Amino acid sequence: MSEANSPVTPLATIGNSTARIDAVERVTGEAKYTRDVRLPGMLYGKVLRSPHPHARIRSIDVSRAAQLPGVRAIATHETAPVVWGAGSISGGRQYNDPAKEATLHRRFIFNNPVRFVGDSVAAVAAVDRNIAEEALSLIDVDYEELPFVLEPEEALAPGAPQIWPEGNLCPDFRNNFEPMVSNIGDVEAGFAAADQIFEERYATGFIHNGQMEPRCAMASWQGDKLTLYTPSQGISNCRHDVARDLGLAVHQVRIVCNYMGGGFGNKNQNQDADLVAATLSRLANAPVMLEYSRKEDWLGVHGRWPTVQYYKVGVKDDGEVTAIEMEGFSGMGPYRKNSGGISGMDVYACENRLRSISPVYTNRTTSGNFRAPSEPHGFFAVESMMDDIAYKIGIDPVEFTLKNMRRPTEDRPFTNYSLDECIARGADSFDWDNRRQTVAGSDPGPIKRGAGFAFMMFRSGVGTSSAIVRVDANKNYTLFVGVTDIGPGAKTTMGMIAAEELGVPLSQVEVVAGDTDRCPYSVGESGSRTTIMTGGAVVEAAKDLNRQIADKGFPAGDDVLIASATPRPTTDGKTRQCFGAHFVEVEVDTQLGTTRITKYTTVHESGRIINPTTARDQIRGATIQGIGQALHEDLLYDQESGQPLTAGYYGARHLTHIDVPDIEVEFIEVDDGYGPFGAKTAGEAGIILAPAAVANAIFNATGKRMKELPISRDKLLGELA
Amino acid sequence: MSDKKERGDNPSQNQLSPKEQSRRDFLEASGATVVATAAVTGIYTPVASAQSNQSEPEAQPSTRIQLNVNGVDHEIEVQDRWTLVELLRDHLELTGTKIGCNRSECGACTVIMDGKNVNSCSQLAVWADGARITTVEGLARNGELSPLQQVFVEHNGPQCGFCTPGQLMSATALLTSNPRPNAQEVKEGLVGNLCRCSNYNAIVEAVVTTGEQGGAA
Repeated sequence: MSEANSPVTPLATIGNSTARIDAVERVTGEAKYTRDVRLPGMLYGKVLRSPHPHARIRSIDVSRAAQLPGVRAIATHETAPVVWGAGSISGGRQYNDPAKEATLHRRFIFNNPVRFVGDSVAAVAAVDRNIAEEALSLIDVDYEELPFVLEPEEALAPGAPQIWPEGNLCPDFRNNFEPMVSNIGDVEAGFAAADQIFEERYATGFIHNGQMEPRCAMASWQGDKLTLYTPSQGISNCRHDVARDLGLAVHQVRIVCNYMGGGFGNKNQNQDADLVAATLSRLANAPVMLEYSRKEDWLGVHGRWPTVQYYKVGVKDDGEVTAIEMEGFSGMGPYRKNSGGISGMDVYACENRLRSISPVYTNRTTSGNFRAPSEPHGFFAVESMMDDIAYKIGIDPVEFTLKNMRRPTEDRPFTNYSLDECIARGADSFDWDNRRQTVAGSDPGPIKRGAGFAFMMFRSGVGTSSAIVRVDANKNYTLFVGVTDIGPGAKTTMGMIAAEELGVPLSQVEVVAGDTDRCPYSVGESGSRTTIMTGGAVVEAAKDLNRQIADKGFPAGDDVLIASATPRPTTDGKTRQCFGAHFVEVEVDTQLGTTRITKYTTVHESGRIINPTTARDQIRGATIQGIGQALHEDLLYDQESGQPLTAGYYGARHLTHIDVPDIEVEFIEVDDGYGPFGAKTAGEAGIILAPAAVANAIFNATGKRMKELPISRDKLLGELA
Repeated sequence: MSDKKERGDNPSQNQLSPKEQSRRDFLEASGATVVATAAVTGIYTPVASAQSNQSEPEAQPSTRIQLNVNGVDHEIEVQDRWTLVELLRDHLELTGTKIGCNRSECGACTVIMDGKNVNSCSQLAVWADGARITTVEGLARNGELSPLQQVFVEHNGPQCGFCTPGQLMSATALLTSNPRPNAQEVKEGLVGNLCRCSNYNAIVEAVVTTGEQGGAA
């Protein structure tokens, strides 16, 4: 069984709201992002992209472009056949080198055939960006247009256009063409034991990461060594991938990322821009700054995969769920960049669960990881399904959850468990009993008010990363960690953890990060792992340094003491999760079809909170992103032409200042004895629940179950008509 | 419809086997580039006419303009096609102003031009002739952060920080005309400044707090 939640003991640095150590640079414009880097003799690079959703390139003629004064290099699929290993991976296993090696459906930095509108065709380097752009227009490409398919279920139908020779079902990491199946217990027995069976289809849209900084990369060669300035969530993994793709040894690649403008999962590993910049730089023998426009970033990088999900759930009359079955389809675009996963049903205790997910190739833009890659769309569907069942059998959705949510068992112990507490506290501070309409849709309107709820648990596992810490004779400490700071404040968090363990103020710790030539391996800012894993390494390195100081005393003169650590922690076979519950109240204008959020309460248990301000803003920001997914965001395609219609901020209708409610955040702080001082996952946890909670609130307000995201005005008005 | 012949039957198509690709010795083949770009071979087949093209670009229509940026007078020849943000970032070395969309959707490039917050991506540089412009680099005075910047530091105004310069410029313009805005007024004043980290709550709190503490200046 789970261990009891013990309250956290106060610490000296950790737990105090602390300004970012680089906050001044961020508010004065001194912070140098990749596009701010200037090198002598630098050129500008631009990429030519396919205007067709699917076409074979018969010929490509660059002679006119090559003669344009100021052009210094041109690369095409014929002249630069560089594989982008992380761009398409059998099984979508992004951190798995054997999978990349074995990948059947390879993506190159320039492709033929081209398989989506925006696929890369060629690139130019020139003395300024205007000339580079002009040169693109002088490249003559003769395309043979091919039939295309946009929707995953259509792509699997007999006679559908084939994007790859073996068909449109993505292969797994062994190159078998099978859906991803997870079968626990016996669903047929579960359905036989049910009093009622419910079946429903849900669907979710494509959500572009939409980070403010468009993809860019500056490449510069010093002999046979490549320096890449690039916005990367994981400089170590980026270096490894760039080296592999270019046939270099790892030490021949240096990745530098001092500041970066967000990513939310689309700046993991290396990106094609890194390889294109390196290629152009090599060919032109000069540094090259490759810049993507916002539209190129929207189409040429990636976003959350759209899904279709069919559920079948068996329930007893008393509300006990006896079986859950889900068949899902994830639209991956024409390359399998990431998993295509659909999570959510595993947060239920029901022991009979069958899940089958087909990641499917389509001629839309590529799908990939976005903050909690498999969760928000899955939780939306399964928790809408369960909410619907609760109302149909006449049980409060919160009570239905308390009856059915997964809990620790003798066989599957957790390091700790606080979901009951999250739900209870959230229901209390939100005033769930009074804000919810007991009968959904009973508000007479025309502006109808209602409340919704969703809950989650999410991985918070421990793992390996490295850290180095050094002290000099003046007791100045320097921490070397291979983190970048995508936004959550990792440099500050790492500094705080070091200061705490070293027993010195944060001001005495300098943090060196964002440069593979200076910093050891870090897992990178993805999977909400940095605080736990790299933070854990910081703790161990600091402990070692303290031991050295205790043994030898502080160094004298120019001497330093240095400690490093690469711990391999475990959770002793226990499941380690963070927990959360969201409660939201909406007002739906039944005449306009608009949804306004009037109250949003979140309660999270993310272990011990290192920096309360930045942790709070992780939850607030993630929740707001999730609201955008619920209400607005998608990438629409013209079905006739295969052209994307809504690429960009206006098209996706991202939330702005005036759309955003105040998000209330409450943390339940726990130290379960794992992770650095008990810290768990926070960054991804916040986004998981908003789509489900908002959709459930809209149902409670209107009595209409909205089964497709986004719940845009047209869909709501259609249902309400 | 594509077909099974697609892979392997056309050497111009990208059909290297994984191993073939991974074993290519990029460096051995292309290391000669340190001597001359035209000698690059191996994984790359250089387009010789491009790599040997060392001709200088043709002169572009341009105009001599005068403008004041952050209190400093400039007289500069600008190409007529340059945007104001290109002038600031590429030619005046003021890279604090960011380009998020280059089409007035996001506000990352916001600067104050003659007292108004504008998207510098959507202003031509020549239009700035005679203008007074303030960028994020001009907010601090003599190394002292402006009150707004100081509150942004303390209230976690930036997450990734890429939208922060634009948020600061719109907020500075707002606080100049409305020294004590309420939250709704801040939201309306900054509506053109997107934050994909969605740090909106903290940004609004910071601007309101700045007003309560006495304003931006």
